[in-house]
Amino acid sequence: MSKLKDQINAITPLMKVCFDFVKNEYNSLSSSMKKTLLFLFIMSAGFALFALQIFIFGLGYTGLSNYVAWGVWIGGDLSLIVLGGGAFFTSFMLYILRRDEFQPIINSAILIGLLCYAFTFIFLGLDVGQPLRFWFAYLYPNWGEHLMPQSMLTEVVFCITFYFMVLVGEFTPIILGQKLLDRFPVIHQIGHYIHKLMWIGAAVGTFLSFFHQGSLGGTYGVLFAKPGWFRPHLFFLFIVSALAAGTSFTILITWLAGKVKKKDVVPFKTYVSLARVSGFMFLIYFIFRIYDIYLMITKYVPAFDRNFWDLWGGTYGLWMLVLELIACFIPVILLNIKAFREKEKTLIIGVGSAVFGMMMNRFAATLHGFTVPNFPWKAFTPYGPTIQEIVTTLGIFSSMALIYIFCAKYLPIFPHLDKQEH
Amino acid sequence: MITRRWGMVIDLDKCTGCGTCEVSCMQENNMPIFQDDSDDPKRVKLLNLMKITNDREKSLQYGDVKVAYIPKMCQQCDNPSCVAVCPANATDIGDDGVVSQIWSRCFGCRYCIGSCPYEARVFNWWKPRYEGTFKESLNPDVSISSRGTVVKCTFCSHIWKRERDKAVAKGITDINAVSYTPACAASCPTNAIIFGDLSDPLSDVSRLSKDKRAFRLVHTVDNWGVSKKKNLIKKYPEPKVFYLSSEEWIRDMMRFK
Repeated sequence: MSKLKDQINAITPLMKVCFDFVKNEYNSLSSSMKKTLLFLFIMSAGFALFALQIFIFGLGYTGLSNYVAWGVWIGGDLSLIVLGGGAFFTSFMLYILRRDEFQPIINSAILIGLLCYAFTFIFLGLDVGQPLRFWFAYLYPNWGEHLMPQSMLTEVVFCITFYFMVLVGEFTPIILGQKLLDRFPVIHQIGHYIHKLMWIGAAVGTFLSFFHQGSLGGTYGVLFAKPGWFRPHLFFLFIVSALAAGTSFTILITWLAGKVKKKDVVPFKTYVSLARVSGFMFLIYFIFRIYDIYLMITKYVPAFDRNFWDLWGGTYGLWMLVLELIACFIPVILLNIKAFREKEKTLIIGVGSAVFGMMMNRFAATLHGFTVPNFPWKAFTPYGPTIQEIVTTLGIFSSMALIYIFCAKYLPIFPHLDKQEH
Repeated sequence: MITRRWGMVIDLDKCTGCGTCEVSCMQENNMPIFQDDSDDPKRVKLLNLMKITNDREKSLQYGDVKVAYIPKMCQQCDNPSCVAVCPANATDIGDDGVVSQIWSRCFGCRYCIGSCPYEARVFNWWKPRYEGTFKESLNPDVSISSRGTVVKCTFCSHIWKRERDKAVAKGITDINAVSYTPACAASCPTNAIIFGDLSDPLSDVSRLSKDKRAFRLVHTVDNWGVSKKKNLIKKYPEPKVFYLSSEEWIRDMMRFK
């Protein structure tokens, strides 16, 4: 009994230190920050609660059906992956192309990528009917007979798993660079050596990313029996979309972090440089997308004896496509014209519209296809997410925000800021 | 070596829309019934009896309105898009041409549901429940699928297995000597559903699938010949369920006219 008491007495000062630290940190926050954190915590708790309901009682609690089998969760998945593409592309430009102007933003880009891919797995675990059987995808993959796997999802699952490992590897020096850990020379050495090998991570990451970004397009593009989706070039369109939207998302989130911290977390010219790349990619993407729609109208949809406009229910559903094109055209203007790119307001409107537009693309190009009737006597299938889907999706985004905030405060995510403070 | 290639021919001129095929399929395959199943897009239905009409705009006069019933189950394609996309190999095409669905391998990603143009696959959105005496009438030859897995018509392969076992017990070991009838075909009161071996030139299905009244569901490749369209898409599901109808409006509808 006294031994237990001794142990408690030994731990108590340590617990007190931790508790005081948390209390002090909390008290140092502004009231608006406290309110934001509270909101994010509540949303995350809501996500946990509804996720539990789904796991225990079933996917019947979603608005999904045998017609619209994938909904807002897969939309969230696809959005996260395309927006997380900034990690591999920024890595590629910094470590392979040796464009050092991206050094200040790389850590933030890697963190964003890590969060996007980690939470993609969480979205998938929620969406799949038997998450405990998820390992079947690894051990019983559908490779088929040729070089490319027969099932696009097999390709996606393997690639994002390996790429997630690469991201963890690229994130490790950031963790090891934390002031408390960096003090130890061993850890400092390890961090230094990993940093020297970053180019391998960047190269492997780029290779893997091309494949899985493309395969997510291929997931829909190869469906030779579905007029709403089939076109072989969708694979390539999605790669370009990741290059374009990923970089914009990195700019947006990092800028937001700077606004919250009320400091220049990254020199403004870094945003401008990255925006220039994003703008160029958006130009290529926009032209490609218009060509994609043109091909669908003239070649692919008529090959199924269908009419492109009928697939959208006439003008009824077309608003989604129009919204996507408008939102993706704005960055073509705002990010490519120097005067707009170098002004903060127009830059942020540009990247904000880019992110929104690409999310709309994922809904218009992929999820819309589920509602298209397969038989001429069938009407469009409506789909509306239930409260479970909405709260879990927003909750997942809130969790990501919380983790980003935590890392931005305690880890060396912004080396430019640390340099300024010394 | 299996030489069987199971196929089906459904004569829409004979189908009265009675729904016996749906009910017998449900019974044979242990499908669960939930409290409110009416027209529910989440319903577990392996055979769906579709009702179509030529009066889509609801503008025709009485006498001109025509109605037809189409029993639709898995079309057992020779080039199934579902088999190509399953990430866990839960579905595969057998040597007998039947596309199998192993619900204990499925982890419920529902990619196959997205790829099927015939809406033949359904998902267990809820845990299958069998209340009271329903439990006593469950078919022991069909395993109960779990919540969160995809199920579909398998042309009652378990009945074929049962017939093969009976034949082996009698000493007949030639797999191609055994025939069977799935539940829907066995229960149809007008014999509108005919089941058999497509590779046997003397069978009814083989003969009727080449009938001038024959067509396949919503695809136009039957009429393409060697056309540009077929070369563009390069792949076609090749379903093995044929429908017969003498009504031109049905055939037009299949071509989205």
